[in-house]
Amino acid sequence: MLEMQNVVKIYRTDLIETHALRDFNLRVADGEFVAVTGPSGSGKTTFLNVAGLLEGFESGSYRLDGKNIGELDDDARSRTRNQKIGFIFQSFNLIPDLDVFDNIDVPLRYRGFNAAERRRRIERVLELVGLASRARHVPSQLSGGQQQRVAIARALAGEPRFLLADEPTGNLDSLMARQIMDLLEEINSRGTTIIMVTHDPELANRAHRNVHVMDGQVTDFHAFESPLAAAV
Amino acid sequence: MEIRPILSAMMRNRSGVLLVGLQIAITLAVAANAAFIIQQRLEKIGRPSGVDAANMFYVYSYGYSPSYDSKPTLAADLDTLRRLPGVLAASSTNGMLLSGGGSANSYQASANTKAPQIPGNYFEIGEQGLNALGVKLVAGRNFRADELTYSGLDNLFPKQIIVTRTMAKALFGDERVVGRLVYSPTGDAAEIIGVTQNMMGSWVDNRHPENVVFHPILQRGARLTYMVRTEPGRRDELMARAEKALSKPGDGRFVVWVHSQEHYIKNSYRSDRRMVVFLWTMICLMVGVTALGIVGLATFLVNARRKQIGTRRAIGARRIDIVRYFMVENGLLTAFGVIAGAGLSFLFSYWLSNMFALPPLKLRFVLWGIAALLLLGQMAVFIPARRAAAVPPALATRTV
Repeated sequence: MLEMQNVVKIYRTDLIETHALRDFNLRVADGEFVAVTGPSGSGKTTFLNVAGLLEGFESGSYRLDGKNIGELDDDARSRTRNQKIGFIFQSFNLIPDLDVFDNIDVPLRYRGFNAAERRRRIERVLELVGLASRARHVPSQLSGGQQQRVAIARALAGEPRFLLADEPTGNLDSLMARQIMDLLEEINSRGTTIIMVTHDPELANRAHRNVHVMDGQVTDFHAFESPLAAAV
Repeated sequence: MEIRPILSAMMRNRSGVLLVGLQIAITLAVAANAAFIIQQRLEKIGRPSGVDAANMFYVYSYGYSPSYDSKPTLAADLDTLRRLPGVLAASSTNGMLLSGGGSANSYQASANTKAPQIPGNYFEIGEQGLNALGVKLVAGRNFRADELTYSGLDNLFPKQIIVTRTMAKALFGDERVVGRLVYSPTGDAAEIIGVTQNMMGSWVDNRHPENVVFHPILQRGARLTYMVRTEPGRRDELMARAEKALSKPGDGRFVVWVHSQEHYIKNSYRSDRRMVVFLWTMICLMVGVTALGIVGLATFLVNARRKQIGTRRAIGARRIDIVRYFMVENGLLTAFGVIAGAGLSFLFSYWLSNMFALPPLKLRFVLWGIAALLLLGQMAVFIPARRAAAVPPALATRTV
């Protein structure tokens, strides 16, 4: 369960203050697939950053799996990101110097798994995303869709409770975008909670619930077929 | 430890890594050899002179008048010097320790002309010569006044000699030497009547600086040199008084100079000291430039990988993990450099040995150099690594 109440996030410079999130309220139940939409500058990515513990916040309450995030120090936030959250970025964010296997290995090493366990997990997620034969390819040898699959594999290898996706199909053509969405739906069907920031209404419509953000606040909810949405 | 992925990443940034690795290798090769040379020079500078250098000085006079007679002048001068309060001993001499100029002969343990010739730096001194040097006898006796002769070509090789312990050993090994005869290459014989503790001879770069022999010979001629030893702490005062005492108007000679023994020691090691300073400066510059190279490469890699660092932080790296990544990466880079540098050090040493007849480099200098460069590398990369750890994880979601 992810629960934000009255979360405020302000970016400050010497001259101006920007209120990126204003009394932001959102609850995401376990197993949900939530799409977060909104125009540019509305606060979608800031929400994702705060939800993913990439940034702190000024006030309000944020609980992730019952844990009060505001009380965590930097190391604890890193550990929580590593153990509970998987990230999928718009531009994949693979490490260009490492091959597919080693890219997926990075968070597992931070987690402290032994080599055998890491190998088992990497082989499993590579099978899941259909890239088992590309384990020793470097990112530059892969298509955009394949790179995003690697990023998804990296996010899934640690078996996170939450998958946060920031425009996961933003850099892909429509065919690859559909394939990625199919994969995300499959992952969600296995029980992983997914929160996806997107501009694309078509992709948003494939989520259980669509949260619209405007001026740093949730302005609208659209529940789709998911019975989970009704419970929220 | 994530060594394999780090190696893999390094292999994809070969040019920078190779350049800095090569810089580390060259620094090690030059610094290890330079440190070895410095140590040799310092050992050389630190060699004991074996004499009471702090309380010794020399007076050199030149007789210019046609009526000048060196024999009575010598006797009068020695008498004058010995009467000065604070003077412990005075003697004429044909040379000064570590002055770069002196006399040498070959000595043999047998009359056989094919016997090994031992080079010896000889000093012609009077009966107070050993005392004027502050050198102690360890066996036998000193010259008696009746054994002294005057210098001249006809009596160059004396009847009695005193040798240093090193010279005695060079001639006769561990055997007793007092009473033994030594021979000049022309077959003249001299009896060893005493053995002294070791002392340096005239030449700082002599391969056998402690092969010293004393001949019981007084100086004569226009040029007379006296060596004088004083009570501790009175040397400078007595140098001035001695010069004044020997400078009598109308006696047909003048005192050319008065120099302390320390003056010669200081001068004789001047080039060694300059070499030490030069090599130290070179080592510091090379190490400094290498440190800057490491900082530069690390800073470049941090800046080039900001997005990657942000991503690593986003997927779970703690700050310490990022610092450790750069420290390990630098450790590997330095390790490559020092491994190559170790080989290069010995090649460089081999070349120096052949070119300048230097002894071969000792392993411990390379090992110390490796340790120092590994430490330097870790110190140099620490600040860029800390800067990398400060990259916010939110950078991962920024598109620019």
